[in-house]
Amino acid sequence: MAQYCLRRLLIGLGMLAALSVLVFVLLRLTPGDPIDAYINPAVAISPGEMAKLRSELGLDQPLPVQYLAWLRAAARGDFGFSLQHNGERVLPLVAGRIGPTLLLMGSGLAIAIVVGIATGVIGAVRRNSATDVGLSVAAFLGISSPPFLTALVGLYVFSVLLRWAPSGGMLTPGATFSMLDLVKHLVLPALLLSIGHAALIMRYMRASLLEVLNQDYVRTARAKGVPEFWVIAKHALRNALLPVVTLIGSTIGIAVGGAIFIESVFNWPGMGLLLVNAVETRDYPVIMSATLIIGACVILVNLITDITYAAIDPRIQVA
Amino acid sequence: MMSLALSRRNGPLARALQRFMMNGAALAGSAILISMLILVATYPAFVQHRPNDIDLLALNKGASATHWFGTDGVGRDVLARILQGGRVSLMVASISVAISTVIGFLVGALAAMGGRTADAVVMRFVDLAMTLPPVIFLLVLASIIGAGIPQTVLVIALLSWPVLARMVRARLLELRERDFVVASRGMGAGIGHLLWRHGLPNTTDILLVHITLQVANAILLEAGLSFLGLGVPPPEASWGNMLNAARSTVVLEQYAWQWLLPGAALVLTVLAINFIGDGLRDAFDPRSTLN
Amino acid sequence: MRFRTIASSLAVTAALCGWLALHPHAAKAQDDLTLTGGFDVGPGGFQGNFNPLAATGGFTWLSLYFEPLIIYDEKLEKVIGALAESYEVSSDKTSYTFHLADANWHDGKPFTSADVKFTIDLAKNGATGTVFAARLGAISAVETPDEHTAIVRLSAANAGVPDALTKLLILPKHALSGIAPDALARDSWWSKSPIGTGPFKFVRYVNDQYVELAANENYRGGKPALQRVINRYFENTASAVSALRAGEISFSYVESNDVGAFRDNDAFRVIEGKSFVVNYLGFNQEVPLWKDVRVRQAVMYAINRDAIIQSLYGGAAEPANCGYVVDRLIPSDIEPYAYNPEKAKQLLKEAGWDKINGDKPITLLTYYNTPLAANVLAAIQAMLAQVGINVVPRTVDTPTYNGMIYAEKPDPAQFPLVYAGLQNGPDPSSINVGLNEKQMPPAGSNFLRIRMPEVTAAFDAALTETDGAKLDARYQDVCRAMNANLPWATLWVANRYGVASSKLKNFAWIPAPAGGPYAAHPEKWSVEQ
Repeated sequence: MAQYCLRRLLIGLGMLAALSVLVFVLLRLTPGDPIDAYINPAVAISPGEMAKLRSELGLDQPLPVQYLAWLRAAARGDFGFSLQHNGERVLPLVAGRIGPTLLLMGSGLAIAIVVGIATGVIGAVRRNSATDVGLSVAAFLGISSPPFLTALVGLYVFSVLLRWAPSGGMLTPGATFSMLDLVKHLVLPALLLSIGHAALIMRYMRASLLEVLNQDYVRTARAKGVPEFWVIAKHALRNALLPVVTLIGSTIGIAVGGAIFIESVFNWPGMGLLLVNAVETRDYPVIMSATLIIGACVILVNLITDITYAAIDPRIQVA
Repeated sequence: MMSLALSRRNGPLARALQRFMMNGAALAGSAILISMLILVATYPAFVQHRPNDIDLLALNKGASATHWFGTDGVGRDVLARILQGGRVSLMVASISVAISTVIGFLVGALAAMGGRTADAVVMRFVDLAMTLPPVIFLLVLASIIGAGIPQTVLVIALLSWPVLARMVRARLLELRERDFVVASRGMGAGIGHLLWRHGLPNTTDILLVHITLQVANAILLEAGLSFLGLGVPPPEASWGNMLNAARSTVVLEQYAWQWLLPGAALVLTVLAINFIGDGLRDAFDPRSTLN
Repeated sequence: MRFRTIASSLAVTAALCGWLALHPHAAKAQDDLTLTGGFDVGPGGFQGNFNPLAATGGFTWLSLYFEPLIIYDEKLEKVIGALAESYEVSSDKTSYTFHLADANWHDGKPFTSADVKFTIDLAKNGATGTVFAARLGAISAVETPDEHTAIVRLSAANAGVPDALTKLLILPKHALSGIAPDALARDSWWSKSPIGTGPFKFVRYVNDQYVELAANENYRGGKPALQRVINRYFENTASAVSALRAGEISFSYVESNDVGAFRDNDAFRVIEGKSFVVNYLGFNQEVPLWKDVRVRQAVMYAINRDAIIQSLYGGAAEPANCGYVVDRLIPSDIEPYAYNPEKAKQLLKEAGWDKINGDKPITLLTYYNTPLAANVLAAIQAMLAQVGINVVPRTVDTPTYNGMIYAEKPDPAQFPLVYAGLQNGPDPSSINVGLNEKQMPPAGSNFLRIRMPEVTAAFDAALTETDGAKLDARYQDVCRAMNANLPWATLWVANRYGVASSKLKNFAWIPAPAGGPYAAHPEKWSVEQ
């Protein structure tokens, strides 16, 4: 087991290196560089000045030189300065986004898990009843709606029309920090985020539970006279949860990347928004670091999931 | 011998089809999708406006006798644009899914059938593709190759194949140990034969379900890309870039038909495809008739 | 997982929603004299930039805590004094003497001419990441005979220098002289503890969320009526408009499409102003398509500018027949290019358009990505198609656009025609950089490679004109040259809008290019309770 972990970690490091090269190359292929992003075309700056600014930033060096310079600095822990955020250091900038991202994704997923599992169980238990059909239709609608549309409509209805929730941001500007303020800003985006995930979890839970309920051991339990409630709660649920756990695991893995549409509509200071802004302004150091951090998280979560599987299910052999 | 004669009429595919037909939601979904496809394919016959014809004298008008679904910000007919947009969105979705299915199947099959080292290398490659945050991959790729229909197709295709590769690999790995495959290989079957005669038929159910669900996903992805300003650029109509109008509160409030109707068309179509995909999944699962 | 847990979690969630519904979100946009607004929303803003030397926008906010020597008045018409109470210009226009006001920095130290010299030197030093180096290039020296006088000497008369000085915000020598120039741009001073002389002083910046300023009680113009001003960042204009409607901010720039929602609402005041940006279709002179002036004329005649202005801009734009729309700069004898598609077809036939291009698609490149721009381009495409010119609009983002047009070896096939805008005021010499043959890259921004001797000569004459009375006539010559030679198919100058809450008193704002600076007198702004 330890050997397996070590091997996977080393491979993970290798993949991070490959990822950094891939992202670096992709970025340099993208037309326009940070200086181009800086200049407003209506207020013209001469290309001569732009060239001077470029050489200040080392952007006129050949690509491999630039990459190696970045790599050397990164190995020392120096991820450079953001080109767009007035010279802020990248690592604290990116690290500072992880918190809000996990907060948003965490609450959204928590709501989704609770609602998804609950409705999935109800749907499976009361199969084909009005409740089940209603829940299924709602779930399908949840999967079928584009997330940005639900975000826009939700923001309009709940913030502009009903004034139940603030229109964006994480905290009220200028006010002292309070948990209440944070929760008020968190509720709407988290709820809207949970819609799609809850719908998916519900469907998987329902399908999986239905399948488990047909197994022989469940039939045996029923035949033994175990009350239906315990049949479900104690015997069926645990086994039915396996595919749902897979789903949750893979969702958590990409959670660090944030939810760009929700963050964009609500101006939530998460990783997704940071990356979108960084790509728009070609802020190379930020993009490189954020991508690597997200990549590292995904690799780590995948590793943990695989190990958990192997630990739980003796039939599964790690490759 | 009798079982052979019966099996032709009652083979697994036929049984699956039967189960599909008994699924109310799947039938409803098929009906909706087929109607949508017909409408989208034949709209020039009954809609007298063309989707890109501007009319500066009829801006932002509501539903009327001449414009059944109203007009947009430059006076273009919303109904015509919805149906043309349907063509574009469905075409982008289908082509990108076709490409990603081919890539996913080949990669997954290679990993499963190609031996230990091939498996390790290929799966690491798949992992790499999956670790790249979809956000940045989407944005960077779209920024490099620009907005436009072929570019959108490429971006969506490149995003969706890793998941299929994994599923195909899992199924084929399981298959590899089965007796008939071992026998085949024992008789000297090459990898092409194995994939075509044994691999493909035994992964049909995964592929079909994946394809239908991915088409739904691709439509949503295209909408999201267009929303971010990438994807299909105006004046070409697509459901995604029509929804982009909803960003402005004026449109959201006062000209609701400009985004509500394309949104409804998109949700309806994706819903129908999801019903079908779900129906297919149930149809291919032999245990579902036990309920 | 027990049903009870699930049920109780659902109950808690429901209760939370109910509670929230009963306690509607009551974050007011202003309480105890705080003004929260979206000051960096829109084209004049520059979110996240705190360095005035590197600023290509965002001056509305920056000039709340920094000040320049001279500044435009709040109508952007004339230049008045700011940190310099008055100034004199020598008769040959090579020497500007500034008499400095009595002011203190936010940390109490006095403002002196040494700060002026320090700032101008920094602005000319390319190592600092400044964008002023070219505009201030004509400055040869800054003399400081005493603490309250600064004399700026030019190597040659240059009409662009005073305009550039209105944007140069003065920086404190005592705080910044210790930092090496090439490390200046990256220093954290700008976003943590900047010091200026303005009516408000910096309190804090919460990353990507907002910036907070507090009143500078010792401001030389008087103690500000407000206690705090907060600049809230928004991802896009639509979010700012939502916040404005929800009452969370008191002011923001809004797109012209959104104005309708605020016009009839007594709680808001709509502010309309000229954008000072002339929109045009730029003909790339490196492709053979536009060599014949008749083709360019045909484009002008084919586009019904009045119809677009009336329907898409709601009448809030002025058609432009040369680079200017200000009355005093337009001679009476220029061609108005009234909408005439028949004439356009005739001109194209005479020029042999079929042989030049026929109906092959021509890319129309732009960086404007608002819905309004998309509609305008659709209209232009339809109008040009009517006369046989097949253009295909292509919208790219700003870095891609700049990367394409300013590439070292640009590919003209990628941008044969562009839809763009250039600042044309308040100083009319601003468009020189885009049209003068001497301003071709890398020296200037003439990326269309325009080489029209009449136009170049007219601009040169205007820029070196030393007699103030003759300036208007010189720019009228420029207008005539542009109108006859058509380096651009000039379209219009649109209005831009901001919306402020009716509770704001004495609030001044105009949609100045790059946000200004202009004399907004922030110390007089106040909030009605």
